[in-house]
Amino acid sequence: MIGGGVLLTLVGVVAASEGGGITATRAALPQRSVSQDSTYGCIVCHADKRRAFSQGVHAERGIRCEDCHGGDPSQYETPAAHRGRFVGSPTKRETVELCASCHSDPNQMRQYGLSVDQLAEFRTSRHGQLLMEQRNRDAPTCTDCHHAHLIRPASDARSEIYPSNIPGTCAVCHENASLMAKYGMPTDQLERFTVGAHGVAVFEKRNFAAPTCIGCHGSHAALPPAVAEITHVCGKCHVLLARAFYEGPHGEPAQAGGLSGCVGCHSNHGTERIPPEQIGELCTTCHDAESRMAAVGFEIEEQVGRAGEELAAAAVAIDEMAANGRETADDRFRYQAAFTAYQQLAKVQHSLDLEQLEELGREVRSNTGIIRATAEAYAEERWEHKLVLIPVWFLALSALVFAWFKLRELGR
Amino acid sequence: MRRTLNAVHGWLVGVWEDIKASTDSSLLGMARFVGLLYGPIDRSLRIDLALRKSLRYRLAPQVGWRHAPGGVTYLLFIVLVVTGVLMAAYYRPSVEEAYPSVQHIVSEARFGWLVRDLHYWCANLIVIAVLAHMARVFFEAAYKPPRETNWLIGLLLLFVVLAFGATGYLLPWDQWSYWTVTEVLNAVAHIPLVGRPIADAAMGDVIPSGATLSRFFALHVIVLPWIAFALLGYHFTLVRRRGIAPAMDSEDEAARWRSSGKHEPGEKPQGVPFFPTHLLRSFSVAVLTLAVAITLAVLFPRVLADPADPYALPDELVSTWVPVDVSLALIRLAGPWGFALFTLLGVSLVLIPLLDRGPERRLRRRPIVATLGLTFFVGYLALWIAGRAIGSVPPSASLGEAVEERAVPVGSSARPPQVQPARPAAAPENADEGGGR
Repeated sequence: MIGGGVLLTLVGVVAASEGGGITATRAALPQRSVSQDSTYGCIVCHADKRRAFSQGVHAERGIRCEDCHGGDPSQYETPAAHRGRFVGSPTKRETVELCASCHSDPNQMRQYGLSVDQLAEFRTSRHGQLLMEQRNRDAPTCTDCHHAHLIRPASDARSEIYPSNIPGTCAVCHENASLMAKYGMPTDQLERFTVGAHGVAVFEKRNFAAPTCIGCHGSHAALPPAVAEITHVCGKCHVLLARAFYEGPHGEPAQAGGLSGCVGCHSNHGTERIPPEQIGELCTTCHDAESRMAAVGFEIEEQVGRAGEELAAAAVAIDEMAANGRETADDRFRYQAAFTAYQQLAKVQHSLDLEQLEELGREVRSNTGIIRATAEAYAEERWEHKLVLIPVWFLALSALVFAWFKLRELGR
Repeated sequence: MRRTLNAVHGWLVGVWEDIKASTDSSLLGMARFVGLLYGPIDRSLRIDLALRKSLRYRLAPQVGWRHAPGGVTYLLFIVLVVTGVLMAAYYRPSVEEAYPSVQHIVSEARFGWLVRDLHYWCANLIVIAVLAHMARVFFEAAYKPPRETNWLIGLLLLFVVLAFGATGYLLPWDQWSYWTVTEVLNAVAHIPLVGRPIADAAMGDVIPSGATLSRFFALHVIVLPWIAFALLGYHFTLVRRRGIAPAMDSEDEAARWRSSGKHEPGEKPQGVPFFPTHLLRSFSVAVLTLAVAITLAVLFPRVLADPADPYALPDELVSTWVPVDVSLALIRLAGPWGFALFTLLGVSLVLIPLLDRGPERRLRRRPIVATLGLTFFVGYLALWIAGRAIGSVPPSASLGEAVEERAVPVGSSARPPQVQPARPAAAPENADEGGGR
């Protein structure tokens, strides 16, 4: 038994050493990776860079040190290795050009399905304008967001550009108070984003359909949207809400740049949800409290709030019926109908169409009304069950009294 | 005319006598077979005489109200059988139909709600009644020779009652029953050596599923009732054969009461007459028990949780059975070791008749037994009350490995992880170089 184990171990060792031999043979082939290339001169001094680089996507694609830095990697002495077209630490502008030399070439990028307009986009961005036109060294270059050597794909959860990591990547600079003070910019974007609807979706629910910074500002072409563009930006995802907004009285001035569109009520990075009970009050921040428009706001508040309460009551009624053993498939179906109308209310309120709101409110109430009536009838039925106790205890007590008298009589 | 009537009368009497003669022996045989009658009854004893004889039966004078829990247990068992049979007419033991059929029983079938809640409450009350009966037997030393066999039969009956509850618990097929059974089978699987095979055999699958439901249903309505009836027959026969145990401070006079409850010839009759005194007392207790059970069923119906869903761990498990409350309180208050020790204490009661065989019946002379018994019975009651007050969260919620082991994905009801916005990870190199960060 033990001998067999030793034999197996020996066989394993032999197999492993044979495997090592195969690896050495492969290393001699032209398609070798940096980490396995013992003749590579750069790693004599830059082992840390090699280690980082070898974990990135570029190493996987066969890119080598000299492809970006030039020099002669077959040399082991610094003067000889750094000879010729050699770039040790490219400047920020040189970095952009260096990356673009491959990333703007459709023939090289086609195989990876990557777009080749990053440089063109970058030039239009605020970052690009500062760096490329004003030569401002505060502005970020490619390697500030993507790292210089350890470049991971966006699908890698450790990458700086993985969806839930993007806000942190942007915040490296945008939370730097002294840096942002120079440009008169706030530093609370990440803080507000984190607690907002989008932040909760991305960080807590891991819903990567929700936008991070780049969803609204763009990535390489990062710029704050112009006032007239705000509703278009939000409308990329909130299609129906944007359409309803354009249909309403706010739509036209917002498109003309006279109103700040969605962020006027919901704020920008905080993407605040407006609780139904605050709708009317919110309108009075722009409209006079006595005005007709404020009255419309309070009417919407009334409709939405009432529908919400009706829905909540219907949900409680359904839970109660289910807990008491009643089959509730019909009621749940009605609840879904009411809930659909309630969600449509959320859309229609952006168009300020009171007539449509009233109609949807009625739809919610008619469905929830039936659910509640059913629940009340069932509750009454269950209450009537308690009446069984009257004859039960009447009979029981009569029997006990009879038995007590009889037993007393027998005891004498 | 008169002659004709006489002839008809004579003919009818003849027929009646013939029928009696041919049925008496078989009826007696049946009665004896199921243990209703015991004594020197044979073919020559007519059934009306047998009835009169049993009515003349007298119980020993020490038999009193404290002997009621035994009878109450039997009454509750009968109620459970009747309500169970009524529900079996509607219940369907399959994953798809179990829950809807329970809904049908509760909300559609006539008086189905009462039948089901009565079944549920009697299943709880029977545990209390069994323990009360056991406590009386224990403290009065009624387990001592020659009645030690009946103590062991009684313990088997206790396990049968517990098995009834455990198997019936799953049948509503709602979230609480599903996950409680999951937890219990997980716990059973952790018992060394035998645990895993037992849990696997009960489960019939890698998680509680349709196979488990079928197994539990078969045990609950086919296997366990037969075992229970057989053990009950034996239990009652032994009670009649050995007589009711004497009071703690008196000698065992069972020999005098043993055979038929009558005294030796010529002795003045003593004891409590079975009819009408004892029957009336039993009747009172039965009426009161039924009224209480119906009241509990009407006022505190067993709520149905959502239908069982192996993919959604509920936030809360509501216990609906006394032993579950007790186990919960034990594990929360005394930890696993406390649970193990208490269980050991309960199991050690099995050995009592083997160890405590002396003639002493007075409680003060049996301090060790009295302490053990008091700890177990009072502890059980206290733990039941404590368990009711404790809200239960499925232990699997905190035992990640147990969930993973069974490959059950945690549903949306699980607590969301505390997620902080991630920062880019520090790279394994110096960041002070131009271009690099």
